[in-house]
Amino acid sequence: MTAPTPGAAKAAPGPLIAGVVLLGAGVYLLVHALSAGDLTLGGPGLAPVIVTGLWVAVAACYVVTAFLERIAEAEDKPRWLTPFLLLGGLIAYSLILKFTVVGYVLATVVFFVGSARLLSVRPWREVIVRDVSVAIGLSLAIYFVFTRLLGIALPAGVLPL
Amino acid sequence: MSAFTDLLNGFATVLSPQNLLYAAIGVTIGTLIGVLPGIGPALTIALLLPVALKLDDPTGTLIMFAGIYYGAMYGGSTTSILLNTPGESASVATSIEGYQMARRGRARAALATAAIGSFVAGTISTILLTFAAGPMASLAVTFRASDYFALAVLAMVTVTAMVGTSMVRGLMSLTFGLFLGLIGIDSLTGQARFTFGMPELLDGVDIVVVIVGLFAIGETLYIASRLRELPAKVAPLEPPAHGGFAWMSRQDWSRSWRPWLRGTAIGFPFGALPSGGAEIPTFLSYTYEKRRSKHSKEFGEGAIEGVAGPEAANNASFSGVLVPLLTLGIPTSATAAVLLAAFGYFDLSPGPQLFEKSPTLVWALIASLFVGNLMLLALNLPMIRIWVKVLQVPRPVLYTGILVFATLGVYAVSGNIIDVIIAFALGVIAMFMRHFNFPLAPVILGVILGPMMETQFRRALLLSDNDLSIFVKRPLTLTLLVLAVLAFALPHVPKLFRRKRLAFGEED
Repeated sequence: MTAPTPGAAKAAPGPLIAGVVLLGAGVYLLVHALSAGDLTLGGPGLAPVIVTGLWVAVAACYVVTAFLERIAEAEDKPRWLTPFLLLGGLIAYSLILKFTVVGYVLATVVFFVGSARLLSVRPWREVIVRDVSVAIGLSLAIYFVFTRLLGIALPAGVLPL
Repeated sequence: MSAFTDLLNGFATVLSPQNLLYAAIGVTIGTLIGVLPGIGPALTIALLLPVALKLDDPTGTLIMFAGIYYGAMYGGSTTSILLNTPGESASVATSIEGYQMARRGRARAALATAAIGSFVAGTISTILLTFAAGPMASLAVTFRASDYFALAVLAMVTVTAMVGTSMVRGLMSLTFGLFLGLIGIDSLTGQARFTFGMPELLDGVDIVVVIVGLFAIGETLYIASRLRELPAKVAPLEPPAHGGFAWMSRQDWSRSWRPWLRGTAIGFPFGALPSGGAEIPTFLSYTYEKRRSKHSKEFGEGAIEGVAGPEAANNASFSGVLVPLLTLGIPTSATAAVLLAAFGYFDLSPGPQLFEKSPTLVWALIASLFVGNLMLLALNLPMIRIWVKVLQVPRPVLYTGILVFATLGVYAVSGNIIDVIIAFALGVIAMFMRHFNFPLAPVILGVILGPMMETQFRRALLLSDNDLSIFVKRPLTLTLLVLAVLAFALPHVPKLFRRKRLAFGEED
């Protein structure tokens, strides 16, 4: 397929691709379930086979309908860069929380400002003061409520808290 | 009369300062997250679960969670009336007429009929719950494993058939949920299933992780994929008019009270049936009011009946949802599924035994609904300016806040990195699901109901020496299974006929 031209939303291959991926995953899981052996009526192996079998059947139906009806994709084209940048930020944030000594408050402030920037379409200058102050306030509030009031430990990190 | 005494005892428990505080916190948080887009009651309860466990007060916690559930309904109506972007699917019907009223300078009347209607419906339906719960629980005592299996099938099928636009997509979501529910150690034999050699998966995927992934991370990623500068057009709140009572004129009152009662009558049974909560009754109520109103010309331009009916139906359905949840342990909406998980966290299992083992808790919970409804009435109308302010929270800050709380929630529940990664992976899947119009609620029900269904299936087989005919020999089991088949087929019958006729027409 060539690059979709404006107005050609109907031919969008998205649902078809999704269906094929679903079907592939279903077949893989079904094979995995079958390889476990024990398919006796009251045994633990039966439910996985039924569920993954259902998965394959439903996914096949979806592929067929997606192919026949060409389920029209949403009108406005989604942008995939932003969500995956955000996801990258989330992964980095949780790894830093878990494996470094940066600490909860500092990591949260940095993540908050970065994420709010990604999700905003207004110019940086207009929102930076708001974002930074909310970030600092929120992360300090969470930190103290959790560690002091609820007794749930959060990493203190480099800040002298 | 024993239900009445039980209820009085429940009030005695609720009216302690501590439990009143829990109820107040619950309804306030509920209203807040109902007003805010992007965060619903299921996610909120899931995020609060780890914190609630620390408090170690099952009664107070469940009172708070119930408050969040119906508080979110009140809050959701505010958003759909003033902003025309309903936060929950159950508020869509309200927004049709509500937003039109607000645009025409009648926001206060719309908000008032929604709030008072919710209060009326909430109170009446809680009375119905009070008197239905006892008999229902004693009936449920006679249920056997095969009945529970059939009941779980029925609940799953109907919810899947009713939610969303396409059966295939609903079923796919359900199957995905069933698969997630299978991961981990089999409860009867200890065999590991779908763990792919990872010891962290042996305990299964926690429901909190699933909900945070689907609803918090998935929602935010979805929003990020279609960022537009949405100028939040909050309809202005007109200055309060003179005359009338509680923002409504005499005429508003006389046009509202019948829709309130009719909405209650539609909402409660539909909530009790496994039909996916409040979506269907609210639309039924809207259609009904539109058709029979003397002012049907006003519909589309802000008819107060179109707000009063659906809002009442919405709130009444909540008490309805509690009937199967408390007496049978069967959830019929995503939020109910989380509530069920919350019971599980406290080692309580809803069902007929709950009424025998923990009557104090059950009746306190039911009594708290009366108290909470009253609080919500006091909270919503006089404090409307605060909720309007909440509506104007900048979206980037709001969604980032959701992500911060989501990460915190997953950490607090387990602290292990595999759970966090699963939540993120589910978030990516949920983003694509939203993009391709797959409903999310069946996933949650699959995760919760799947294991329950399998356990009951195998227990029934154990009792019958592996004789499958047990599922057709018991009349109750058979009836429930037939109902499930009907629920699966019925929504498609009219569509099949219509399509055929259309096809013939095209051939001509």
